[in-house]
Amino acid sequence: MSMRASKAALSRRGFLGVAGGTAAAGALAACSGGGSGGGGGGGDTLKFWNMPWGGTEFNPRDKEITEAYAPEGDLPAAVYQEIQWANFTQTFSSAVASNTGPAVSSGGGTQAFLFESQGKIAYADDLLESWKSNGLYDDFLPGLIDAMKVEGGYAAVPYNLDMRVMWYNTTLLDQAGVEPPTDWPSYLEVSEALKGIGVYSFGVGAGSGSFTGSHIMTSFMINNGGGLFNADQEPDCVTDANIEAMEFVLEMVAKGYVDPGSVTYTSDNVQTQWKDRRFGMGWDGAGLAANVGGDVAAELTVNSPLVGPHGDQGALYFPNNIMMYTNTPSQEGSEAFLTYYYQNMAPLWTEHTGIGLPPLRSIAETPEFQSDANAVKIIEEWQPISRTWGAPGSDALFLGVTDVDGTPAMGTFTQTILSGAATAEEALTTLQQALEG
Amino acid sequence: MSTDSVAQSLRRARSGLGVGGAGRPPDARPKRVLSPRNVTMLALVLPSILLVLLLNAYPVLYAGVQSVRDGDLIAAGDFVGLANYEAVLTDPVFWQAARFTLVFTLVGVFGSWAMGMGLALLLRHRIPAGGVFKVLLLLPWVVPVVVSATSWNWLVATPQSPLPILADALGFGRVLFLANPLLAQITVCIFKVWISFPFMMMMMGAALASVDQNVYEAARVDGASGTQLLRTMTLPLTAKSTYISWILMTIFCVNDFPTVFLLTGGGPVNATQTLVVQAYRTVFLDFETGPGVAIAFLMTVVLVVISVILYRRVRKVDIE
Repeated sequence: MSMRASKAALSRRGFLGVAGGTAAAGALAACSGGGSGGGGGGGDTLKFWNMPWGGTEFNPRDKEITEAYAPEGDLPAAVYQEIQWANFTQTFSSAVASNTGPAVSSGGGTQAFLFESQGKIAYADDLLESWKSNGLYDDFLPGLIDAMKVEGGYAAVPYNLDMRVMWYNTTLLDQAGVEPPTDWPSYLEVSEALKGIGVYSFGVGAGSGSFTGSHIMTSFMINNGGGLFNADQEPDCVTDANIEAMEFVLEMVAKGYVDPGSVTYTSDNVQTQWKDRRFGMGWDGAGLAANVGGDVAAELTVNSPLVGPHGDQGALYFPNNIMMYTNTPSQEGSEAFLTYYYQNMAPLWTEHTGIGLPPLRSIAETPEFQSDANAVKIIEEWQPISRTWGAPGSDALFLGVTDVDGTPAMGTFTQTILSGAATAEEALTTLQQALEG
Repeated sequence: MSTDSVAQSLRRARSGLGVGGAGRPPDARPKRVLSPRNVTMLALVLPSILLVLLLNAYPVLYAGVQSVRDGDLIAAGDFVGLANYEAVLTDPVFWQAARFTLVFTLVGVFGSWAMGMGLALLLRHRIPAGGVFKVLLLLPWVVPVVVSATSWNWLVATPQSPLPILADALGFGRVLFLANPLLAQITVCIFKVWISFPFMMMMMGAALASVDQNVYEAARVDGASGTQLLRTMTLPLTAKSTYISWILMTIFCVNDFPTVFLLTGGGPVNATQTLVVQAYRTVFLDFETGPGVAIAFLMTVVLVVISVILYRRVRKVDIE
């Protein structure tokens, strides 16, 4: 090789070496995922991720509240990020795993307990302690804060309540000449009357993305003194109370009170059935009337909780929450921001942005909130008797509930019951095996 | 140039030699693999190789690691050997999903191919507004599957939907297209054929366009019927494209997540659950990464086997 060629080759190699090194460094930096930029604050700011809990006006208003936060001293300011429900589990999991997630966020109702088990959650004990002196702690509705307690501390702070309640169409009940039911036997009687006018009385959906069906199955178990977990927080599905509750639902199915299509109805399908007045009674969240809209909305009324065959009352509810993460630029900053947020979040309810029910008495007592008779009824009659997934063994949530919250096992169980494909005991046994597996 | 010399040149060309001669004589000296030139070439492609490895090999290797651990979406978990594969392969739900995946794929591939081929043959003839028809027929493929699934849901989901009303009017009573397990399976398969046939129509249309029309005319002069033309001329002459389209559609069907998930979510009672839907639900709803990735790996193995078999058919067609 000539000297010229050799020099040229060296030059190329030198250039390629620098280029390759730069590329590798860039790639490794991209893969590292950590670093200062990954802090839950993204540097000097604190990331607050919130979900679209209400209508289109919710997140813009929520963002305004967040950005109005003026931190004291050196504490970080908050930046707002709306996270879509679509694939939110992946969004949070990948962000938290790579330390690029938020410092504070809402999310799925059981999300805090999943991340707590991974050591990613900053406990809210100190925050809640500080709220005892400013009145916030005592402002929470009964039982809400306790639902957040796990062995290590409080995994989250209650934010908005997602209830599962019984709705009926006043016009259709009048047409059928019956009064709203008060217990299980009268529910069957009303159902028979509604069937006489071609209307279903057990309106739910258990299709793709619709988990309400599985919530209602659990509600009936709780209404009968049962539930899915025992006091040791272990799955305990095959109990007399649960079997009796599911036999009641199967009776509703067998007698034709349940729309056979419910098995695969999406939320949209369910709302269509309410709109078309095919559902005279049914089970849904607090926002059903608003979601259905139109003329029918005014006909929809929340019923009082039913009394079970042994005198029990109960239903399933989801105390959605806000959690703090260990990956934060300042834990003191996270707590200061949350204190500000809870003291200033009332407009999300008083301005009717569509968010679920408020966790604070002071908001529930405002004239704006009191103007919604259905919401008031839910807060006054349903919230006190509602239990979490942990029922009947526990009022608190824990990691094990992630096995039943929107999981395939619960979906399959619900579809099995709603299609009458198995006996109550068979379906519950299959569910138990799936949860133990 | 004589005929012999032309044939000789062609043979030389096929064997990689130039027409003009034997080319450079074999080098008597042992080749230096790492000559400066090769080092330079290697260095030039190295960034690309690294990028490909980072983008493709790393996720696959990492997924392989996940499939033998009992982790979740955040933590890798402990090494459990082949326990995840054993759990998956002994789960009746897996085999139920595997059976439906097989049916879904067979119907999806051959149903869409038959429909696409038929329409491609029809559209070869000059018809009024043929271009408009072609565009309209492409719509199921072009429209986002989220929109298609929503439309089909509207079409069949409730008793007030158009198709149940039609079925009732025709005397079939109340037909539960999505709530009845068998009907849900049929509906999902038909939906798959509907969104896939335009792709097959394009593939087969392109294959048919490349066939010399003189061959058909000669066969017609010899008295060949339409069926004979199809069986002995059209199908063999488009066989290569057919096999390639089957390979692609098999991959599309086995990996098709939205079609099933958006229409039925895998229900009722897992009746329409395919393996890819089961893998998704296992990882992202049950948070069991190991078994979910194990399902995905098993799917990949089956897909590779099927693809290799079909690819060999393509090569055989080439040789013939």
